[in-house]
Amino acid sequence: MFYAQLLVNGLVQGLVIGLAALSITLVFGIARFPNAATGDFMTFGAYAALSAHKATGSIAMGGLAAIIATGVISLLAYLAVFRRLAERSVVALLVASIGIAFFIRAVLGVAFGHSQQVFQVPLSRPYVFGSVRITPLDLQLAAVALAALALVFAILYLTPIGRQMRAVADNRDLARVSGIRPDRVMIALWLLAGSVAGVAGMMLGIKTIVTPEFGWEMLLPAFTAAILGGIGSPVGAVVAGLLLGVVQEVSTPFVGFTYKIALAFIIMLAVLLVRPRGLFGRLEGAR
Amino acid sequence: MTHTRRQFIGTIGAATALIGAPSILRAQAQGTFRIGALCPVTGSGSPFGSGMQKMIIAAAEAVNAAGGAAGRKIEIVSEDTQTSPQAAVLAAKKLIDVNKVQAVLGTWSSGVSLAVVPLTNDANIILMNTSGAPALSMPPANAKGLSYRFQATNDRFGRAFAEICEKEGFKRPATMAFNNASGVGNTEGFRKAWEAKGHKLVESVVYEPNQPTYRSELQKVLAANPDVIVTGSYLADTTIIMREWYQSGQPVKWVMPGWAASPDLVKAVGPDVVEGVISVDSVSNENAPSYKAYDEAYRKATGQPGQSNVYAAMTWDMVHVLALAIEAANGTDMAAINAKIREVSNPAGQQVYTYAEGKEALKKGKINFEGASSVLDFDQYGDVTPDFGVFFIEGGQLNRRYVVKI
Repeated sequence: MFYAQLLVNGLVQGLVIGLAALSITLVFGIARFPNAATGDFMTFGAYAALSAHKATGSIAMGGLAAIIATGVISLLAYLAVFRRLAERSVVALLVASIGIAFFIRAVLGVAFGHSQQVFQVPLSRPYVFGSVRITPLDLQLAAVALAALALVFAILYLTPIGRQMRAVADNRDLARVSGIRPDRVMIALWLLAGSVAGVAGMMLGIKTIVTPEFGWEMLLPAFTAAILGGIGSPVGAVVAGLLLGVVQEVSTPFVGFTYKIALAFIIMLAVLLVRPRGLFGRLEGAR
Repeated sequence: MTHTRRQFIGTIGAATALIGAPSILRAQAQGTFRIGALCPVTGSGSPFGSGMQKMIIAAAEAVNAAGGAAGRKIEIVSEDTQTSPQAAVLAAKKLIDVNKVQAVLGTWSSGVSLAVVPLTNDANIILMNTSGAPALSMPPANAKGLSYRFQATNDRFGRAFAEICEKEGFKRPATMAFNNASGVGNTEGFRKAWEAKGHKLVESVVYEPNQPTYRSELQKVLAANPDVIVTGSYLADTTIIMREWYQSGQPVKWVMPGWAASPDLVKAVGPDVVEGVISVDSVSNENAPSYKAYDEAYRKATGQPGQSNVYAAMTWDMVHVLALAIEAANGTDMAAINAKIREVSNPAGQQVYTYAEGKEALKKGKINFEGASSVLDFDQYGDVTPDFGVFFIEGGQLNRRYVVKI
């Protein structure tokens, strides 16, 4: 039962990592570079949600603000920077994304200050199932995460723009000759990736505290999950995020709390040694 | 490609000239003693950092108003540690190499002080910190005896925690520590003092920073059924831990250092969650005239009472002690100044409370500066022993019930 509780703790943690990894993997699959600004998009989403929550007192409004504001800021980053660098190397884009990350963090630091802020949500006692305790807040956050995931996958697999995005991810040149306009696809991509990061940021903010640096600190686990899941695979990112969260928590009785973080990386190394394309990744020819 | 490389080198050259030129100009300035104010303006020390820096500047103004030290004006160069060792090292390098400061004052967290002390040692200049890690007392950190600590060591905090737990009648304490020199220093100090009293710990957990949840850590500690949890923690992680503990519904008492269980914690989690938490912090030397002068300066600079920032009282004292030592050494030779620090602040000698008073009394003989933060008697390691205030959080207020002396 002790392990069941650890499993629950890990699932909640994994959902946040999974959403952040999903944002990274979407950008990587279609725009083809690791977006280091994802963490700061999360921070931006958390502050947007925080401001809306303070103004209206409603978490739903906060979530809406996070989705819209982060989608817009992500699109702006694309229009102002990434579009102009589209033909450059991956390194140029990566460095540009680090620059955007610094920029967002600095602006947030000036606008909101560096001291920690919290969502003033009422704390409630957990539901007890057998000896497993689950808090209502975690259930709500899990529902939000699952709804966000369902929406993203619906967009990707059920709508024309989603089909086009997957086509571009699959083979950009073939997509272009088939009459898919990359511009529309890219706008949809950045809106979607930003909104997902915004939701992840709001969830993390509600669970923990909000500071201008807090999203940046989540970047490493999120990248790990994106790589472990197979870069460019949305399903893989989410599954790997959950896996990392669960493995870290369930391992603590054996390796302790200090080394649980290292364990995530050991698992990633082991998977990549056996299966270099990641859990759900596809083999890709040399480009 | 050649073209861009040439441009690149040109840019670097221009940048070097920009950075280098003013330092050459400044290095020629005579009649000043330059001090680096290296405080945690951003990051987890941000509730304290800007007040600390303002008090270094205010104290320097007080010194300059009294005619400076050894005929020299004190000049302050401010930098931000971001409460991060990496950023602090860069800032300290800049202060030492570019600004040519002769002392660095005001480092806050232990990780930062431990990272900066090798640089100040290499430059043979004084470092005055407000950190708790026991390692700062010994070589290699304090191999040259140039480092002074104005805060109680974590070890002393741990001893105070043990006194409090005994006084409050706790029988089954557990510990939770943030994994750094300070956090583990607190709980280890507690363990040693507690076991020396013939008691036992029921559980101890060391946890990592920046985790989205600490539920598993809490689960392990609470499974041992403690009656009190003693922490070595900071504000951010404590906020998360307290919320998750409250949701677990298991009753237990908490004893925490004051930098974690602060009014900011009450604001973050609400008064219900932290009701009854015992917050322990070194108390300023509140009845001394030096404290009154500090309090006035702090209110003027920040609009807040001096009590809201114990570290600002420490940085206020740093400038006073250093300036008095410069005056006593009658020059800027670092070895001579360093030799005078204990002489102007430890007992035997006329008790003084302000810089002007001390400067005057130095003409007649030995002085003993009594600071705003504590009586400032440095032991052989450069450590001081303040008293500890024991605050109970009641209805969202931190009420001081009693003071513990160790």
